[in-house]
Amino acid sequence: MAASALLGLSLLVIGESHMSANDYLINPLHDELTKQGALVHSVGACGASAGDWLKTIQVPCGGDRKGSQKAVFKGRDATTTPIQQLIAADKPDVVVIILGDTMASYGKPFPQTWAWQSVTNLTKAVTATNTACIWVGPAWGSSGGKYLKSDDRVKYMSTFLKNNVAPCTYVDSLSFSKPGEWKTLDGEHLAPSGYKAWSHGITESIVNSPFVAARKK
Amino acid sequence: MHFKPRLIKLAMLSTLFVSVTCIAEEMALYPTGPSQDSSFVRFVNGTEQAITLTSSGAKKMVLPLNQAATSFYPIAAKSMLKGSFSSGKAKSDIALSVKPGEFASVIALTSPAGLKQVILREQPDDFNALKASVALYNADANCMNAALNVVGRAVNLFDKVPAGNLQRRALNPVKISVQLLCNAQKVSVPLDLGLLQAGQRYSVFVLPAKQTSRIFFTSDNIAQ
Repeated sequence: MAASALLGLSLLVIGESHMSANDYLINPLHDELTKQGALVHSVGACGASAGDWLKTIQVPCGGDRKGSQKAVFKGRDATTTPIQQLIAADKPDVVVIILGDTMASYGKPFPQTWAWQSVTNLTKAVTATNTACIWVGPAWGSSGGKYLKSDDRVKYMSTFLKNNVAPCTYVDSLSFSKPGEWKTLDGEHLAPSGYKAWSHGITESIVNSPFVAARKK
Repeated sequence: MHFKPRLIKLAMLSTLFVSVTCIAEEMALYPTGPSQDSSFVRFVNGTEQAITLTSSGAKKMVLPLNQAATSFYPIAAKSMLKGSFSSGKAKSDIALSVKPGEFASVIALTSPAGLKQVILREQPDDFNALKASVALYNADANCMNAALNVVGRAVNLFDKVPAGNLQRRALNPVKISVQLLCNAQKVSVPLDLGLLQAGQRYSVFVLPAKQTSRIFFTSDNIAQ
């Protein structure tokens, strides 16, 4: 991966709890994208599903990091910010959406219709602004953790997203590792080494995405 | 197309019928989906004249022939939804509940007594943003084994859909016209579905008419 592959690109990266704590994606991913030359704004909201990024709702925790600044983390006073508002403020070239675990309904029947509506509403909102988007699906966790994440369901969720995020480009995080390869803290959230590896896979996928490839021509 | 007034009407209707439109979501530290799936209901005028849809709260909405189907409105699963269709002195009471993940279509039809209704339900699992999705709803008891053929191609889109049933399938987003067949006999004139859009869901309704069956086509929009 050539350094500066993302030079001049402005990226808005939103995500769930994986983007909302110091050792999670918000720092290693932000840093790696920045190293590639991108101007990055990372925003995390714990537990937020796709539909929650169309409105302002209170979430249990969140994180925000702009450019070279340090990440700011919030607790119960954290909220989502509607995607249209974030895009209007940042005017990004690409929106990167890192969502999957919050919609997978681990341990429960999969809410097919709700997930479809939620995902579709968010992709429509992004594409209505003529902004390119990349959707990063969930990574493998450890089966049987406190959130009941399971290999079967995360695989199902990933396939569901792959089929439903168009016109966003889908990044299959499951291809970055084998099940159980990345250690988790609680079955769902990864140990720092896992987040670092995930960040690398995401960055590589963005560098090789159709939007970035087309820009090089 | 009178789109904006229509949207306003639909928004009003959504508040009429649906007392609880929000899904009861868990507020755990890290929720991973709602406690139950979303459900929807729409209303279809399958008669040959304008009818009035009335909520249990006595609010009304006219369903004209040129806008015979409403959008799908979100409804809390397992809750009872009540209202009525009416046309002149004829009336048909609506009372239904839906399962989680279900899309219900309440279709008003003409009957010897005035009005009746048929409710067709589907629980789709074919969501796909790269494909168009088309359903054939057969609401005409006189159309046995409804089929839809693609005009100009030897392609059978749907086959042998019994009255009171529906079938759905995914299609590539292409421009097509379709021909209705009842019991293998061509019925009515071909219907141009236009250029199907990827990710969009559509329904073709087979409905009774004075002489024979008729069909109409609508997008399965979700009321926001």
